[in-house]
Amino acid sequence: MKQKILIDYGYCSGCHTCEVACQQEHGLAPDQFGIKLTQIGPDQIAPRRWQYEFVPIPTDRCDLCAHRQAEGKRPSCELHCQAGCIRIGTLDELADDLRKDKVALFG
Amino acid sequence: MDDFEKVLDEARDEGPAVKTQDDPNGRPWTWEEDGFTVIRSNARSGPGCHENCGVLMYVKDGVLEKIEGDPDNPFNQGRLCPRCLAFKEMLYHEDRLKYPLKRKKEDRGKNTFERISWDEAYDIIEREMKAVIDKYGARSIWVTQGTGRDINGYGPLMAQYFGTPNYGTGFLSGQACYAPRMFSTSFKSGGLFVCDYSQFFPDRYDDPRWEAPEYALIWGNNPVVANSDGMLGHWIVECMKRGTKLMVMDPMLTWMAGKADVFIQLRPGTDAALAIAMAHQIIEDGLQDQEFVEKWCYGFEEFKEHVKQFPPSWAAEICGVDEDLIIEAARKLGKAKSACLQWGVAMDHTSEGFVTGMACYDLMALTGNFEKPGTMLAARPAFGVSVTWLPSVDVWNGCTPPVDETETMNGDYPALKAIAAISPDMLLTAMETGEPYPIKAMFMMQNNAIACMGAAPQRILPALQSMEFNVCVDLFMTPTVLACADVVLPAACFAERIGITGHQPYALGSIAQAIEPLGECKSDQRIIYEVGERFVDESYKQWDDEQGMYDFLLRRAGMTYDELRDRTWAYPEFEYNKHEKGLLRADGEPGFATATGLYNFVCIEMPYFGLSPLPVYEEPLESPVSRPDLAEKYPLVLTSGMRPWGFFHSEHRQSASMRALHPMPTVRMHPETAERFGIAEGDKVRIENNFGSCVQTAHLTTRLRKDTVSADHAWWFPERGADDGTLFGVMEVNINQLVPMRPGKVGLGASYKSQLCSVSKVEE
Repeated sequence: MKQKILIDYGYCSGCHTCEVACQQEHGLAPDQFGIKLTQIGPDQIAPRRWQYEFVPIPTDRCDLCAHRQAEGKRPSCELHCQAGCIRIGTLDELADDLRKDKVALFG
Repeated sequence: MDDFEKVLDEARDEGPAVKTQDDPNGRPWTWEEDGFTVIRSNARSGPGCHENCGVLMYVKDGVLEKIEGDPDNPFNQGRLCPRCLAFKEMLYHEDRLKYPLKRKKEDRGKNTFERISWDEAYDIIEREMKAVIDKYGARSIWVTQGTGRDINGYGPLMAQYFGTPNYGTGFLSGQACYAPRMFSTSFKSGGLFVCDYSQFFPDRYDDPRWEAPEYALIWGNNPVVANSDGMLGHWIVECMKRGTKLMVMDPMLTWMAGKADVFIQLRPGTDAALAIAMAHQIIEDGLQDQEFVEKWCYGFEEFKEHVKQFPPSWAAEICGVDEDLIIEAARKLGKAKSACLQWGVAMDHTSEGFVTGMACYDLMALTGNFEKPGTMLAARPAFGVSVTWLPSVDVWNGCTPPVDETETMNGDYPALKAIAAISPDMLLTAMETGEPYPIKAMFMMQNNAIACMGAAPQRILPALQSMEFNVCVDLFMTPTVLACADVVLPAACFAERIGITGHQPYALGSIAQAIEPLGECKSDQRIIYEVGERFVDESYKQWDDEQGMYDFLLRRAGMTYDELRDRTWAYPEFEYNKHEKGLLRADGEPGFATATGLYNFVCIEMPYFGLSPLPVYEEPLESPVSRPDLAEKYPLVLTSGMRPWGFFHSEHRQSASMRALHPMPTVRMHPETAERFGIAEGDKVRIENNFGSCVQTAHLTTRLRKDTVSADHAWWFPERGADDGTLFGVMEVNINQLVPMRPGKVGLGASYKSQLCSVSKVEE
């Protein structure tokens, strides 16, 4: 079954780790991305409520770290994500996380 | 001098050498994998930072090909930040210093360095430093460190070898980073306490003893970016997943502030007022932990009477926030099952930062948040190996003759005298004036003072250039090295050397060497003892090589370097409620390690230092309230030093990936503020005040208070090269030209985060 990339973006702090981990793993230049951070806000929705969040989006350069997975290793962005908010797996494997409030699914 | 082999044997005789929580079986420190040799280590910097993340280094033909987070290491659990992931960009950068250099004194500032041998470098250092010692006395040498690279524990030995008592952070006014909080916590609670994010347990969040804090107070700190002082900010994100709620006190909407249950966007420098008012409200509502304050605290009744004068309405006016929000924060904290204080350097970055820290810390005692799961926990060196963090005074006993501490440059400040700490502010004055005694030579380790931590760099630069002799030890040619060094010594990165972890109290670990040092680089530690051997006689020699030095340091832990390296980390046993069990005091009695044996709401030592024994709020010396005259010309509050992704202070500007994350020195302001001053996104902006000015690039963001601007610190432009006469452009953009070298009343704390300024567009 095909793998998808799940971003639990309620916890993404925008630290750029996924971008740099991917660049280092795939030998990409600093302006080439296999996954790219996007930003929502800061938007003050109500007096006490802000939306200031980040969502990393995988690009067509992403191969889900096929060579790493072949060696039994986790994809580099998933392993290094400082917030632990990236999960890569089949829809079945990701089913529980899909029920969370703020998740995005790519792939 | 003790025979350390004997001490090690004795420690071993006491039972199974070291009692640890973790089991090292099945955890090799090196192995072969697909043609690579893999080395398991801890990335105790440099380059950067304050952490010890577990890493796996993949080496082929002597070259570090790849670095990854170690999934098995409890500290970071495989996670790694962009700086370490792109470590090779620093390690193998063409600008790395690889050989010792010398330069003629009259050429300071010019790129006329000449490669020399280590022997010649040491000969020059010996000759010049001994000349200074003969002429002015050893106290006229100031040995400095920056922050970051594994130095805190080892730098003092360099000063001891020279025989000078003047050791400390180079040109950080008021030692305004961590030191004020360390000193205030020692008076308050007999030592430092840190938040419980499960980091004392090798099985972390799964340990059945641990509970996530109900509230984390994120105060003057952006932990996911800053990762300050041995804590990883993303531990808090894991706590959030497990139910922890946040209260964030910050002039800027940080990512965490956007997620916070309570966000108090206060005016910079007013934190103490907020803390005192929260204490008022907690007591007004009877929400204090009565049992804790009665049993374990000193002076609660006086504290209660004192804070009665300071209601939330008073603080709301000062801080520029809603009174209701302060009341809500106080009530939520008072009712919380557990809470902890995650405080940042902003505590220390106001002139009375010493008191600010105390006021915030009192909230933890008032609510009984000590030594329970999810609260404040005593932080002491793992296995008693204090060199990894704050070296105790006897760490280097026997390695040099004793040094006369009464000569330490701190005479204006009884508080600094009491703790035998230097005053960087007095030292700078002494460099300029020769009073109270002259400073004539500098030995600077990883200390880029004119770009980074030095306040008033326009004073520091000529002062450094007026010295009789300067030595710099660093990874790169920095503006400070270029400006003043007569001898430059090239330092090794963590992959090029051995060592032990530091700057945190949870575990002890090893730094394992993965590759041979580039060129002729040496570790800071080896440089220290090799220089030192020129200044003390043979009888002080305690080791023959670096491994011998670490065996010497680890002897009381009952480990050798090899034994530690074989397991990569070791977690000592851990218990909660140490104050109840008599585990905090030297005499084994219950209580805190203070003179009263209790947490001190009333600090009886404070009047001796000219301060109130109870926390009081003082307006920053330059603010719209204290200096309305100045505010007419400089109407905005200036805060600086916000931590950006990718950089550690003045490091990483030459790392292409890190620079892409943050290309230019940036001053942030609210769009309405920008409009008022005719500034658009991306404009070059002159930031100016009564102390000086600099130019940075504008970024407009609603994250900031409308009365405040936030400017970057620590910038320089390595890409310009060393030959254009601008010292890598450092003075064009250095925000510290707007900050005076002027500590708080006790000599601690300084105004890095609370100045006034104006902003204007620079027409290009």
